[in-house]
Amino acid sequence: MNITIGHLYPDLLNLYGDRGNIQCLRKRCEWRGIGAETKEFQIEDNIGFSELDIVLLGGGSDREQMLVCERLKEIKEEFKDYVEDNGVVIAVCGGYQLLGNYYQTKEGRIEGIGLVDLYTEQEEGRLIDNIILKSDLFDVPVVGFENHGGRTYINHNQPFGKVLYGSGNDGVSGYEGVVYKNVIGTYLHGPLLPKNPHVGDYLICKALERKYKRRIILEELDDVQEIEANCSIRKRFLKDK
Amino acid sequence: MKIRKLTAIWMSKLIGFACKKVGRQGVTLAGRVALKIYPDILKELSGEIREKIFVVCGTNGKTTTNNLLCSALEAEGKKVVCNHTGSNMLNGVVSAFVLAAGLNGKIDADYGCIEIDEASTVKVFPHFLPDYMILTNLFRDQLDRYGEIDITMNLLKKAMQTAPDMKVIVNGDDALSAYLAMDSGNSYVAYGIGQQYFKENEDSHEIREGRFCKKCGEKLYYNFYHYSQLGDYECKACGLRRPPLDYNAEDISMAKGLAFTVGGYRIEANYRGFYNIYNILAAYAACRNAGMELKSYNEVLQKFNPENGRMEQFQVKDTKIILNLAKNPAGFNQNISAVLEDEEPKDIIILINDNDQDGIDISWLWDVDFDRFKREEADIQSITVSGIRCQDMRLRLKYVDMPCELEPEVERAIRKKIEHGTGNLYVLVNYTALYHTHNILKKIEGESV
Repeated sequence: MNITIGHLYPDLLNLYGDRGNIQCLRKRCEWRGIGAETKEFQIEDNIGFSELDIVLLGGGSDREQMLVCERLKEIKEEFKDYVEDNGVVIAVCGGYQLLGNYYQTKEGRIEGIGLVDLYTEQEEGRLIDNIILKSDLFDVPVVGFENHGGRTYINHNQPFGKVLYGSGNDGVSGYEGVVYKNVIGTYLHGPLLPKNPHVGDYLICKALERKYKRRIILEELDDVQEIEANCSIRKRFLKDK
Repeated sequence: MKIRKLTAIWMSKLIGFACKKVGRQGVTLAGRVALKIYPDILKELSGEIREKIFVVCGTNGKTTTNNLLCSALEAEGKKVVCNHTGSNMLNGVVSAFVLAAGLNGKIDADYGCIEIDEASTVKVFPHFLPDYMILTNLFRDQLDRYGEIDITMNLLKKAMQTAPDMKVIVNGDDALSAYLAMDSGNSYVAYGIGQQYFKENEDSHEIREGRFCKKCGEKLYYNFYHYSQLGDYECKACGLRRPPLDYNAEDISMAKGLAFTVGGYRIEANYRGFYNIYNILAAYAACRNAGMELKSYNEVLQKFNPENGRMEQFQVKDTKIILNLAKNPAGFNQNISAVLEDEEPKDIIILINDNDQDGIDISWLWDVDFDRFKREEADIQSITVSGIRCQDMRLRLKYVDMPCELEPEVERAIRKKIEHGTGNLYVLVNYTALYHTHNILKKIEGESV
């Protein structure tokens, strides 16, 4: 078996160790004998979504996000078809905001690509801290770091998780991220996947099931170090829970 | 008024002295108290400097460059006020002046050499306007504290524009710094490394900032890179390009320490790390630009031993230990290069904390090119991870297939490698661990003699 991971615009969206997410997906495939190829797309490249099994959209500065948003508008339809066809997407920080309808900043409105019905508004004060979630998708909590000025409102959509520590989407609702079909949008970096191997495996599994059109059970890996790193964050910040 | 000024100075000196006695760094506290007692203290004391004030800004290399500059000026027979310890926010700058003042409340100095945290320039410049600014480079650093580089650049620009007569001595190889110097409207001279030294490394995964022209937004074209985004660049759209280098390091040799020629003068230093060429060159360019001959610069370099955890050397029995600060991807990548220049078998300890001053977000570890430790010629016998975030560091290494030992207590990790190691130990630490680790190494070194 093999999968192809598309990394969108790493030149522009590479702010918070996003490469660690790619590295994690690749290694976890490799350790299981699953072929994993990464394709990096630059802003001028054409993206053949039909060749991709996982798409990663990372975070960038506001200025760089603006450049990306212009480009994404041009490939909106193909991207939407990929998502509606259960294509796997992991979108982090700025990438998460771009999935939605718009991001209203003080300077103006950055149009999103509207793949998921959500929107973001910039507010005073950035939400910066370690963060811990309980997601319905997994038994083990998800740990990471958030740093965002935008508050994201996900309408009727399913959140990625309930916030156990930290701020989450808007600092008020108690929820973080979004799950739509096989798309996960989240503010968690750190990066997200290495300390949350269950999330990485979920993405790999969904990608393989879509590609090979059958149920896939991934071989278990020795995740002692991953789980210890995950636990150390939970122990430190969830003292009484 | 005079009384308040004196009170401020005496109080701060007392605090500085008391903190030293109990072994704590009281530098910033002394400054805070002085400013509280007498808000004009910095304005007045800096005004007593007889000749010029240099400030050093930029993500990496500030402390080394600033201390080198200070030593070079002292070698020219000048008296200098300098914030040696690297306390570089407003309170730290105030401290440097207050602690340098005499009990009569006067500063007796020809020059000031002050490093300033980039974001703090807007707070310091209202107190004094420097004559020169050395701008070393701009890399991503502590995104949780400073935000994106664009924000840092805007703050710097704002500060620079309040000092229109200040001359900027800028690293021309960094497109971000050079653009800032040009955009600020200040006059500037550029230093850099004109020709390519390293063969292009195809599999380099280095993070490069500012791939897009800050002036027009088009992608920058690079003739070559030295490291990170430092290199020879040009924008095909708007014509922005590396400025002509007024101080160009040529004929570089790294066979025995570092050697290069600038303007016909051969500089030789027993330092490791390509990045140190920039530090040495920056201090040289600043002095020359301020009209000094600097004929004894090589002697200055030879004697230079900052003892501040920048490639600081310790000897414990048969073990040579080098302590170095590594606090952001660009700095860490250069640390890795410096370690790889040493071909002897070696042990490495990496200590990562996430205290406020380190930046509490450690995602940058994933932007460091740890793959390079795997190269055979690196001859790394062991890596030990330590500090508050040792678990994260261990995981980082796992994902480049490098096994390591975990020891949260750095003292235990160090002692273990002295007992059972190669006799060649590198200790790479981030900011809040530096002072602590330095003290531990001093202590262990003291026990062995």
